[in-house]
Amino acid sequence: MSKYERRYTDYKYIGKRNTRKDARDIVTGRAVFLDDFLVPNMIYGRMLRSPYAHAMIKDINTEKAKALKGVHAILTYKDVNPDWKLGWPPQKKILDEHLRYVGDPVAFVAADTVEIANEAIELIEVEYEILPAALNGWDAGREDAAQLYPELFERNVVTPGFPVFQPEGPFWHLEKGDVEKGFAESEYIIEDRVEYNKMPNPNAPEPPGVIVKQESPMNFKVWATTQGSMILKQLASFGIPGANFKVETFNVGGSYGNKQMLTGLVMCATLLAMATKRPVKVFYTKTEQLQCYENRLGSQISIKIGVDKEGIVNAVKGKWVVEAGALSNATQGQVGVGLGEANLIMAKCPNWDLDSELMATNRTPAGVARGYGGMELNACLNLLFCRALEAGNFDPVDAYKKNYVSHGDTFVWRDGITWTAHTMDFRNMIQAAADKFRWKERWQGWGKPTWISEDGKRRRGVGVGIIGNADAGEDNNEAYVRIMPDMVGNEARVIVQMDITESGMGQRSNLAKMAAEILNVPYEKVDISDPGTGEHNPNALGLCGSRGTITYGRPVCEACEDLRTQLFKLAEPCLRVPPDTMELVDFGVRSLHRPERFITWKELIPKELTLTGYGKHVETFGSPSCCIIFLEVEVDMDTGKADVIDMLSGIDAGQIIDPASLEMQLQGGIGSASMDSALFEENVVDGPTGRVMTYNMIEYKWRPFNQFPSFDSSILESQFDTFQFKAVGVGEITGAATAPAVMQAISNAIGTQVSEYPATPNVILKALGKL
Amino acid sequence: MTIDDVAVTVNGREYEFSVGTRFGQIPPAETLAETLRGRLGLTGSKIACNEGSCGCCTVIMNGEAVTSCMLLTVDCDGRDITTIEGLEDPATGRLDPIQQAFIDRYAFQCGYCTPGIIMTTKALLDKNPIPTQEQIGEALSGNYCRCISQYHVFEAIKDVADAARAERR
Repeated sequence: MSKYERRYTDYKYIGKRNTRKDARDIVTGRAVFLDDFLVPNMIYGRMLRSPYAHAMIKDINTEKAKALKGVHAILTYKDVNPDWKLGWPPQKKILDEHLRYVGDPVAFVAADTVEIANEAIELIEVEYEILPAALNGWDAGREDAAQLYPELFERNVVTPGFPVFQPEGPFWHLEKGDVEKGFAESEYIIEDRVEYNKMPNPNAPEPPGVIVKQESPMNFKVWATTQGSMILKQLASFGIPGANFKVETFNVGGSYGNKQMLTGLVMCATLLAMATKRPVKVFYTKTEQLQCYENRLGSQISIKIGVDKEGIVNAVKGKWVVEAGALSNATQGQVGVGLGEANLIMAKCPNWDLDSELMATNRTPAGVARGYGGMELNACLNLLFCRALEAGNFDPVDAYKKNYVSHGDTFVWRDGITWTAHTMDFRNMIQAAADKFRWKERWQGWGKPTWISEDGKRRRGVGVGIIGNADAGEDNNEAYVRIMPDMVGNEARVIVQMDITESGMGQRSNLAKMAAEILNVPYEKVDISDPGTGEHNPNALGLCGSRGTITYGRPVCEACEDLRTQLFKLAEPCLRVPPDTMELVDFGVRSLHRPERFITWKELIPKELTLTGYGKHVETFGSPSCCIIFLEVEVDMDTGKADVIDMLSGIDAGQIIDPASLEMQLQGGIGSASMDSALFEENVVDGPTGRVMTYNMIEYKWRPFNQFPSFDSSILESQFDTFQFKAVGVGEITGAATAPAVMQAISNAIGTQVSEYPATPNVILKALGKL
Repeated sequence: MTIDDVAVTVNGREYEFSVGTRFGQIPPAETLAETLRGRLGLTGSKIACNEGSCGCCTVIMNGEAVTSCMLLTVDCDGRDITTIEGLEDPATGRLDPIQQAFIDRYAFQCGYCTPGIIMTTKALLDKNPIPTQEQIGEALSGNYCRCISQYHVFEAIKDVADAARAERR
């Protein structure tokens, strides 16, 4: 029996559908987002941006711009401490004469209005020396390629390791066993190179933005569109050593992991606030978001995979080239996670030599996006894994079951440490999802369509992808939960004091449900503190990487249990029964066996005071998640147009906390530059200039409201031994296996391998030999 | 032609603005979205793409769903505008049935695009209370939602349409 198994079975709230606490605010337009918020005396910051992918500023003159009425400050590289740098390792001066991508800031401007700031930008005179650019991760490693950081990186290879995520030392190379022996023992071996490097943009509806106010020389108040205020604080603190950032957030208009660090915006607003002594707002336009803000990583692999006669991977050898663009801001963490996820998917493989190189290129800096490195690697790796399965004519569903990590397997995670999978076994989940999709019936074999129209012009095929992640237990987080007796009457409010930003997942409400469940109070009586960093909340790293369930749930639950222990102790002299025979009921403590003995919390807590419980989660990576995606595509053989017509997402999330928010996490896998990055979604970059051409929402193609496939889900509810409520977070991974599943389905539909992302009509017609 | 002032009715209340470039006046280039958000404090509709392609700024003008970032306020003289803030009954606090259905069906995730989606839906259902799935999809094809609330939005609108159908019988 696990330590959590005794209590919490007959749930009032857990697993039930509850109205989200901010639901009414959202449907009435009252929910506040950053751009709805004003700070008195606030002015506006904008950036002059480089029109070139790689250039040096030869001369810059800001006199005319400074003379414009309403302009408060113009900063160039000459005005900023050159030791203040962005990225890890610190690499890019906040403002630099060396410009490394189209959109790289040349100058920061603060003015009374956005319009005046834009006018001032037009008046800044700059002379550029244009340099050759490195626009592709693979080529950037050549000796003759343009060098982005010659004084810091050799051959544009970014220093491996991000100490926060890899405290034991950098991890970039997955090595174990003996690969040569592994290949010798393999039955089927394939080798190829695949790219997933169109670096699509997660494009949250709300563009990124911040407001910064200087409160004393090195203390700054930040209001931001971040989903993780602590991460913002952490990365901003690297940028300006000695500065202290207090961060507050509002409702965040979509993030998908992408709006977290916001370091470039924070630095711009901070420097302008220092220069003007006014609060400064920097809110990107949609064009800036699409052209100059963080995209997905670029990913290319050159790899050899061997599987044995049972379809189990026996050896993996190769190199993963990761393209970070012009700034690597803790991208090493994504490299570690990518390698770790490869290990989860091929967990039975004893022989690994999977190296990686993180490349700086003259493209828009890549940032974090849902899938976090694992998706970008898997988009390539899965295609080759499946080619090896095809060589042995293995059913991919059977092979995934055999290869995916299970209880007792070891794997290396992003910290470079070998972990043992605990409590998870996804084979039943995979089979349940396959059955619901009718895989056995629909899958006709590799390269075979499931359906051909009578005229032969349209063909359908099915595909299946798998992914998982062990980040659901990452980071150390803490919470206070306080009981505040009502002023009038004998009830109380429960205040969950934890840094929880709402960016769409509903976790503020879900965590309130956990508190309501343990303290046995109505959900409506639970409040949650406003989100923000450690000044008014204890520390927590944000709801990224599916952390919101275990790593936020455990601290809240522990804090409630701490309160319960305290309350039982306080009640002992009054109830005169042992604490283990007490229960919490009706905002009071009651004897289980002598129910007439009851005392309210209000009577137990000294008047005007509150009672505080404390809980924490300590990082562990032993509970990986898993998501399997089944889908069917239809391909028009004349036009080459492919689309997904039906899909099913399979998951075992453990105990369901909230069924509707879980379902929408699964549906969310269609968005955030995931599934459609295999069909049509891409950042189109003009080759010679390095300029992003898909810089508005007309050019940047995505799926309109009325073009969604039919969607189903298959959800198992194993009771995992993870934390009090036996669940595991899954939001990170729900879209991460969609892209390779689409490629596989297209290949099966048309009977020819398609491996070029995205599989646009041109790509498909080429594969069919029609172009 | 010179326009000196502009009068619009927003959520039942009439506002008159002076047009010009002096401090406090509405400049000719000001969009309806900016006026609603910046001057009237009606921040429910959002300015996201600012080019009419995301639908986050949708309001209803004379019965039609419009993207308010694509309209100049000076061109809205005499128009009757409803924003998301105008749907709830101010006296009773009763929500519009669409808003209630969005709550009941959990038809949002981050909620940033939701006011625009609700206003497009309102304009549709006011004209066509029992639309088909295709008509709903067509009406909402200009509303961008990246979190994926689409499936739940369809369910919510179907609930409202089903209630209208039941009422007719």
